[in-house]
Amino acid sequence: MLEIKNLHASVQGKEILKGVCLTIGDGEVHVLMGPNGSGKSTLSNVLVGNPKYEVTEGSITLNGKNLLELSPEDRAHEGVFMSFQAPTEIPGVSMTNFLRAAVNAKRKYQGLEPMAAAAFLKLLREKRQLVGLDAHFMSRGVNEGFSGGERKRNEIFQMAVLEPTFSILDETDSGLDVDALRIVAEGFNALRTEQTSAMVITHYQRMLDYLKPDHVHVLMNGRIVKSGDAALGYAIEEKGFDWIKQDSESNPS
Amino acid sequence: MNSHQQYIHLFNEARTLIEAGSAEPMNGCREAAFEALSALGLPSARAERYRYFDVQTAFKPDLGYNARRLRPAADPYKTYRCGVPNMATHLFFVVGDVVMPASTTPLPEGVKVMSLVEAATECPELLHNYYNKTAPSTTDGIVALNTMLAQDGLLVYVPDGVKLEQPIQVVFVSTATVPTLHVRRLLVVMGQDAEATLLRCEHTSGHTADLATLVSEVFLEKQSRLEVYAIEETAAEHTGFVHVTAQLQDEAHLHHTTISLAAGQMRTTIDVDLKGRGASVVTDAAVVGSEHQTTDHNVVVNHIAPECRSDMLYKYVLDGASVGAFAGKVFVGPEGMKTESEQTNANLCCSPYARAYAQPMLEIYADDVKCSHGSSTGKLDDTALFYMRQRGIPEDEARLLLQHAFVGEVLQRVTLDSLRERLSHLVEMRFRGAMKKCNDCALCK
Repeated sequence: MLEIKNLHASVQGKEILKGVCLTIGDGEVHVLMGPNGSGKSTLSNVLVGNPKYEVTEGSITLNGKNLLELSPEDRAHEGVFMSFQAPTEIPGVSMTNFLRAAVNAKRKYQGLEPMAAAAFLKLLREKRQLVGLDAHFMSRGVNEGFSGGERKRNEIFQMAVLEPTFSILDETDSGLDVDALRIVAEGFNALRTEQTSAMVITHYQRMLDYLKPDHVHVLMNGRIVKSGDAALGYAIEEKGFDWIKQDSESNPS
Repeated sequence: MNSHQQYIHLFNEARTLIEAGSAEPMNGCREAAFEALSALGLPSARAERYRYFDVQTAFKPDLGYNARRLRPAADPYKTYRCGVPNMATHLFFVVGDVVMPASTTPLPEGVKVMSLVEAATECPELLHNYYNKTAPSTTDGIVALNTMLAQDGLLVYVPDGVKLEQPIQVVFVSTATVPTLHVRRLLVVMGQDAEATLLRCEHTSGHTADLATLVSEVFLEKQSRLEVYAIEETAAEHTGFVHVTAQLQDEAHLHHTTISLAAGQMRTTIDVDLKGRGASVVTDAAVVGSEHQTTDHNVVVNHIAPECRSDMLYKYVLDGASVGAFAGKVFVGPEGMKTESEQTNANLCCSPYARAYAQPMLEIYADDVKCSHGSSTGKLDDTALFYMRQRGIPEDEARLLLQHAFVGEVLQRVTLDSLRERLSHLVEMRFRGAMKKCNDCALCK
């Protein structure tokens, strides 16, 4: 279970998050919506420990562990994964070497021996099929020459290989055509278990259709101003954010 | 006082001894070199080609010189283990500046790898035609000093039409226990249509301050092909000057790659003359610098015939307070029509104290050419670093992967698979800090 309490964070001295409180239980999928600049990506980056963001107040715990005390890599080992909004290219570091380093680092953290070469290649093969990523991508540099859609698929593929317990999908649906979106969403759904949970940032109804989230939250001006079930997501799709803004201004929490 | 004075004194005092230990074709070049060094001195900080390298300080110490040609006691052929798996080579050793007797591996018919002193009796015409013909022994102070004092060296000769399958490996190793000057020569002659691969490894066995100068002359006759891989893996106390001159005739091809893994102060100068129509040259280097290492590459390629190609790729990863310098110049004379040339230098400064100097240059006097050049210097990509850490890769490991990938572009251009893998492994070991000395060389243990 992930618990965020009164989280304040700033980037380059400017406060972006102004007291976020959010609890995500095991097996739950929460969707986070909000206008541009409301702090959604900041929240994601703070959760994974991006050093560019500074937490000034509040706490984040995952299954009782204080995440803020952990390095980004140790957070990953504890089961936190983020599908990046704009996955970066790492020319010259092959997908295979990259994932081998990631898988074995986690195994080391868990006190396990490195994975045998054959087992590792089998794992990659199985997980590739889940998102329909061709074998030749494995010898290419990470995201090197990948199209926008291939990068997003690659994010879900990595998620499948690393088997996180808490995943953040930061606009994984943006820039995808309908078929690619279906593959990505179905891939994500196939990875869901009773123990895994997720926070999904999206602007699109289609993603809500696929994911059937347990909760939808609206982030505005660095705070969660409204929470509800999937119906809230559909209402935003229809009416935009203005009504919520007016609502929250007339009834400040 | 200019640092060259002590060498002038040395030469005046030991000239008889030096000439006695050497051979006529080499002795015949000494006087002119001596006069040149006396007049020029060693390059100062004001010399354009040496502005990033302190030559004066390097030559200042009182260094020993093996005038009497004393042979080292250990037999390197018995103690050295080649570190390239699946790759047999014709192996030769130069210890200090003494060419060791050849190993027993038989060379293909007509191929000669032997000391220059031996060659002076066995094939004097080769020395007469090629020795000291392109080395700038009257215009560059360091090459003049080398030519004045060199008593021996190694000849590699591949006759017309012979294609060597096994690479020739020449290991230069310093085993000196007192500060010493090594004066080395290499003469490579590739006959028409000949093909060969040459590995030039440079090692030191201890931590004695030494200074090595190597003048390497390479001649490629028509349609010949030569790949040279220079692997530099010495110690912080080691200073090295390598000066390569290459002359390429019609459609000859030279691929020269330097892998600088560890050294104190290392300067490599390469001067290539593309003399024949359609000749091509690739000069590459991958440099890994740390601590107070200085690595300086200075390359000039002269396109003085039509339809020639040249390609330079120099990549540096600099950590600690290391310094990397690159100056590359492509000169296209009026005869150089249809020249194609590319020149790329990229530097990664991984510490705030590391410094990179870059000077990519083009000088063109022909109007139908295609030339590009570029240089970039930056630090490790923060975004990539964070992406890797988010996936659980520890920061040190992520840095290592990024650094390795950066110089990997140079390694990708190594054509021999087993060598490429071996070099890649050596580079990784270097980044892991596991290579303070050569792992595979029993001499170093």
